Amino acid sequence: MTDGRRFVLDGRPILYEDGDSVAVATLRAGEHPQHGGTICLAGDCGNCAAVVDGVAYVRTCQTSARPGLVVRRHPEVGEPELPVVETMPASRIRVRREQADLVVIGAGDSGTAAAENAERQGRTVTVLDAHRGMEVVAIYAGPTIIVRTLGGMLHVNAKAVVVATGAAELHPVCPGSSLIGLVTARAAQQLHAAGVDLGDAVAVGSAPSGVPCTPLRGRLLRIEGDSRVTGVVMADDTSDDERTTACDTVILGLGSSARDLLSRMSGDLPVTVVGSAADTFPLPDCPTTGTVCPCSRVSVEDLEGVWERGFRELELVKRASLVGTGTCQGSVCLPYVRAFIADRIGEVPDPFTARPASRQITLAEAAAGVHIDAFRRTPLHDEHVALGARMDRFGGWWRPWDYGDHVAEYWAVREAVSLGDVSTLGKLVVSGPDAVEFLERLYPTTVADIRVGRSRYALLLNERGHLMDDGMICREGESRFVLTFTSAGAGHAEMWVRDWVETWGLGVHVLDRTMSLAAINVTGPLAGELLRRVGLTAQPRFLQHVRAEVAGVPCHVMRLSFTGEMSFELHHSVDRSLDLWRALMAHGRDLGIAPHGLQALQALRLEKGNVIVGMDSELDSTPRRLGMDWAVKMEKADFIGRSALARTAQLPDDRRLVGLTMPGTAPIEGSPIWFDHQVIGHVASSFRSPVLGHAVMLGWLKRAPFPDQVEVDGRPASVVRPPFYDPEGTRARA
Amino acid sequence: MLALEVIRGLRVVAAPEALDAAPWGEDAVVLRFAADDAFVVAAIEIDLADEHAIIADETAFVGGWLTDDDLDEWVVPHIEWPLPDARPALAQGFIAGVPAKLWLTDGRTLLLCPAAYAHELSERLR
Repeated sequence: MTDGRRFVLDGRPILYEDGDSVAVATLRAGEHPQHGGTICLAGDCGNCAAVVDGVAYVRTCQTSARPGLVVRRHPEVGEPELPVVETMPASRIRVRREQADLVVIGAGDSGTAAAENAERQGRTVTVLDAHRGMEVVAIYAGPTIIVRTLGGMLHVNAKAVVVATGAAELHPVCPGSSLIGLVTARAAQQLHAAGVDLGDAVAVGSAPSGVPCTPLRGRLLRIEGDSRVTGVVMADDTSDDERTTACDTVILGLGSSARDLLSRMSGDLPVTVVGSAADTFPLPDCPTTGTVCPCSRVSVEDLEGVWERGFRELELVKRASLVGTGTCQGSVCLPYVRAFIADRIGEVPDPFTARPASRQITLAEAAAGVHIDAFRRTPLHDEHVALGARMDRFGGWWRPWDYGDHVAEYWAVREAVSLGDVSTLGKLVVSGPDAVEFLERLYPTTVADIRVGRSRYALLLNERGHLMDDGMICREGESRFVLTFTSAGAGHAEMWVRDWVETWGLGVHVLDRTMSLAAINVTGPLAGELLRRVGLTAQPRFLQHVRAEVAGVPCHVMRLSFTGEMSFELHHSVDRSLDLWRALMAHGRDLGIAPHGLQALQALRLEKGNVIVGMDSELDSTPRRLGMDWAVKMEKADFIGRSALARTAQLPDDRRLVGLTMPGTAPIEGSPIWFDHQVIGHVASSFRSPVLGHAVMLGWLKRAPFPDQVEVDGRPASVVRPPFYDPEGTRARA
Repeated sequence: MLALEVIRGLRVVAAPEALDAAPWGEDAVVLRFAADDAFVVAAIEIDLADEHAIIADETAFVGGWLTDDDLDEWVVPHIEWPLPDARPALAQGFIAGVPAKLWLTDGRTLLLCPAAYAHELSERLR
């Protein structure tokens, strides 16, 4: 005995010896880690699980005793309380990652032989064994093996896995199986070796060698006692006569089952099972009474109940009764449930599906090493924050939603000049001898007739003619273009472009500049004046683009308009963005300049009827449904989606994105659109226009014929053709 | 916290054979992101045998040179994929959930990530 080495069990100190697990030390002290049930000391069952240092369902047989450990037994009835976490833990659970040619799970004879054999072949081998503090909890695709260790989690990527986890011992299913004083044969050997006094012990089934006990013959009928074992009742094999034997401990050598949970979890992965884990063991006799699943407290009577209700497949029996869903994940009960079903249908069902995790792990352990999606910041992020912006996540980026007053931002665009950070737009450079041919095939608009220095709005359609994205085509040379895409769609658009270049085998180079170039939209009736002040005197006209220095920063200046006002997008190197932004803000101060966020931008473009892909469009929106046939040139020989558009053009027009106006406040987006007491669509975008003095909306009508008057939010609304504001586009072209 | 600085260079997309034959200069670190895509960490002007090549100044990467110890301490615990054994070698993938690249040479490694992710990478490699 090591003096002074103690842990705490339910508030009482428990002495332990070197090498003791918490379970062994607890049993040595005459206690049970729970409130009864067979002890296996092999990690197979949940009968020794307790709350260890605040973590519930920890197998104490797999937990080395150490000073200061605080152990609480689970309640006899019900579940352990969830821990109350008021603050984030100060330290994260660390994840160590390793690579190996081969991972061997289990360091017994079979596992050791497999490891040695692989090492002789020159392969790198990692051996994982729970008794060495390496508890495998899952095998995922990869294969990646997830291991709980004392120092945190270990993730091992392996080329192959050998499962050598051996066999588990059967537990008894009979009345009295939840008493204190029941141990499996191998557990009895461990306890005896550790010097734990088993008292008067009897052995049922195969007696363990080296352990003082009285072997009993016959069939186990029941175990007697109040909370602790006082005797065991056996039936004579031939006469069925019952005989009761008084004892303190019942040692159970009832047979084994393959410990194959991890191998069943691995599906088609390169996993080999060796040793006892690969063996087929005879099933126990069909249980007739008692608890089959101690973890979920499922009795034979419960199984009979679900069977009578018609659940007659193993997976259904599991779901209906919850057998096998507890701490041990079927290790104890599965052989008995299979025997139960086999007795009724005449054949042995396969084991039920195994899924991670095979062991109870904490959420922190499960999440260790996992990172949430990373969101990008534009080079102006800190500047936005300094200007009071409320930042939020949109399309994979942090973007300013507003700077405190979106209506004031709106008016800055409509009446003065404003800056918007549009660095998030997708930007691809396309160059090559086949660039024109490629873009003609890619886009439904014509490309060859775009002159150098000019640009054109374009839809991006898939093969079904459905809208995927939109943006601009800017021609920089005979064989060189800059394409822009929406912020949220840029990643997919790049993949789409590269995929088609490769598919068609055309001579086209593609460079994604989305994160290399920042972009500032200078918009408003005074935008031209502001840009003259910072050196852009030769300004491009609407839909032209030029290379020029603006405030000393080399820019690609694109003249277009999403807001409905005169707009210049200044694309420039990310490292100069802050210089450019500050210069523009400084020179525009007396022009009433203010930055605008996404909320104002969404309102501005809505007044122009400009669609936001994914907000106003749906997954199956065609140009016709969107009212954007003008952007499709069906006279072209071919483009992606052309044949689908030609076919669907013959079908009835039963869905349409329309403009809606109504007096008063704007209904919330998503509001149903009513006609003749039926819902015929919904509102996609909605805003009360300050300049028009009424609500404007884009909404879907999904029932033909399309009415001119509908009802939204209990009020009449008129169906109109957008744009709502400056329909001739004179302000944008100014 | 790992200090990340802007890594300036030249981005060149061109025919693979043109990139193979390009006279980069002895001091240039040439990272072939793909067969047709190179990032050259050097201030150079380049003349390629591909009239359609896309050549652009690149300032969108941040990063820094790491010692082997730095690599083991800061980066390796956050990588789920195996590092290549060969040196020099370019490895690309997620580091702590952030898209990044490693240029591994004998004794030191250049860590690169897009500047737009710099804050995320710095935070996650603490």
